[in-house]
Amino acid sequence: MNRGLRYVCVAAATVLVAVVFRQMSARLDAQPRGKNVYDAHCVECHGESGRGDGASSAYLVPRARDFTSGKYKIRSTETGSVPTDEDLMQSVRQGLYGTAMPGWSRILSDAEIADVVAYIKGLSPQFQTPPRPVTVGGGVPSSPDSIARGQQAYEKLQCGKCHGSDGRGTGAVATTFEDDWKQPLRSADLTEPWTFHGGATARDVYLRFRTGMAGTPMPSFADAASESEMWDLSNYVVSLARKPVWSMNADEIKALYGAQAADAKANPVKRGAYLVETLGCVACHSPVDDKKRMLPGMRLAGGVLMRIVPFGDYPTGNLTSDQSTGLGGWSDEEIKRAITRGILRDGTRLLPYPMDYPSYSTMTPEDLNAIVAYLRTVPPISNRVPPPRRAFLPFYLWGKFKMLILGQDPPMVFFPGNAGATGGR
Amino acid sequence: MKTFLKWAGGVVVVLATCGFLAFLYFIPPFFTRPPEAFGKLMADAAPAVTDIADPAERAIADRGRYIVMTSGCNGCHSVVGSQGPDLSLYLGGGGLKIQTPNATFVSRNLTPDKETGLGRRTDDEVKRVLRSGTFSDGHVVEGTAMPWPAFSNWTEEDRHAVVVYLRHLKPIHHVTPEPVKGRAITIPSAIEQDYGGKDYGTSKAERR
Repeated sequence: MNRGLRYVCVAAATVLVAVVFRQMSARLDAQPRGKNVYDAHCVECHGESGRGDGASSAYLVPRARDFTSGKYKIRSTETGSVPTDEDLMQSVRQGLYGTAMPGWSRILSDAEIADVVAYIKGLSPQFQTPPRPVTVGGGVPSSPDSIARGQQAYEKLQCGKCHGSDGRGTGAVATTFEDDWKQPLRSADLTEPWTFHGGATARDVYLRFRTGMAGTPMPSFADAASESEMWDLSNYVVSLARKPVWSMNADEIKALYGAQAADAKANPVKRGAYLVETLGCVACHSPVDDKKRMLPGMRLAGGVLMRIVPFGDYPTGNLTSDQSTGLGGWSDEEIKRAITRGILRDGTRLLPYPMDYPSYSTMTPEDLNAIVAYLRTVPPISNRVPPPRRAFLPFYLWGKFKMLILGQDPPMVFFPGNAGATGGR
Repeated sequence: MKTFLKWAGGVVVVLATCGFLAFLYFIPPFFTRPPEAFGKLMADAAPAVTDIADPAERAIADRGRYIVMTSGCNGCHSVVGSQGPDLSLYLGGGGLKIQTPNATFVSRNLTPDKETGLGRRTDDEVKRVLRSGTFSDGHVVEGTAMPWPAFSNWTEEDRHAVVVYLRHLKPIHHVTPEPVKGRAITIPSAIEQDYGGKDYGTSKAERR
């Protein structure tokens, strides 16, 4: 009897030890496994250290998340609290719409997503305090009455200050926004639910009001509004949705594009900013460090050295409005000539690569004017960039002979660093 | 007489050498075509959308055509011949090889060809690459190799228009190599090396 009890005790202890050991090893393993996933897929934007300083991050609006801050926009937890694991997993799984964060559910398995979430949680000490989830009530079903009350709440809470009285966000208000890291942000266009970062159901929208979006100017309205007001407001925001272009008919598309063209005409600086951002001007015209990360505060200041073999060195120009080193002294026509024909102010001709001025020459005159109008508004940064320099003449001729007559060596561009006066790599 | 011939021959040789060097000096770089001619070619290169029957799709594709044409997609993605981009093989891929500290990339075939082009991909997959450089096998193309960080700033509707237009290009059968992982920098001071002016595809580009 005594012996039997002893066996049972030993067996129970063994099972207990095994279970505890497995739990602990699972927790210990998750981080290195998560790091592997992170290094394979996340580094390009979020950076090796997780500070959101990957090579591509500086060109994104919004920037990649800084995991060391513990500040997350998409949460179901109280203001100031970290998100739950499920919040993070959901953001990784479905991505953040309207940003560069893709959905990973079809690429990574659930286990890999859990591992990578465990890894990024380890990057911030804030996660030592457990999350405080909010209690989401049943909500208020959408009805014309609820939507009307929501519209009143929209006015009362002054949502229009950032999102415009018609809800069109940055499309309606001229103010620019910054996040906690002084990086540019767009305010959400509430008529385009497909761009809502955390999803567009009434519950998703409610959670954004309820919890606020940490790191952005979007506060929590938990104190300013009642529970039912926030639900009414969600229903109102959901009701603002317009049809997306992929489900419009021909007349609606014509009207939409017409309205966009009129908007571009009325506000050429905004159109120009969109073009400069989407054409990729920033990528070559901003100096970088040896990890190809943009130097802080040097957007569009130029100076990236393009060594084009066998033709010579062609540093990218300073596109800011600086009078002596930027475009401040250039006339509109000179800027447009450089964009469309590759001829600089002093008559120097650029090569047809890497700057694709042949393609830019197909732009409409309005768009070219919009780009010039925007470049005039870029704050001046003094960065003197040396003029293009041809390679040593015999090498130049020999290289050209080999390339153009013998068809041997293709032209090559490489980036040995920064040629501008302000340094960089 | 003999001396005269010798002198005359010498002068001809010197003149010919100087002439050849001058020719080399003055021909435009990359291709023997003057730079101004390129703009006109580019404007005509992107196939028109007039033969799309559905008026809504035609309007969207026309917007996509403008974006594709002006954003310089063909700078990397068009097949390159001896005289510059071969625009009858518009966006057939293989025109550029890029070596970075992490991998070697060759520009891909963007035409709707079912075996070698975007015909293999769904709209969502194409949009994901344009938005975040992330391919379905999980690899992320560097933002300096393919400027997707710039394209991520397109509105979702403009991105949709681009994809709609790419679906209406003429299919071209052209195999382009997949990216190869591993450090590929050969010039010690470089952070990236781009090679153009040659077709890096592994099959002959053909209209289908």
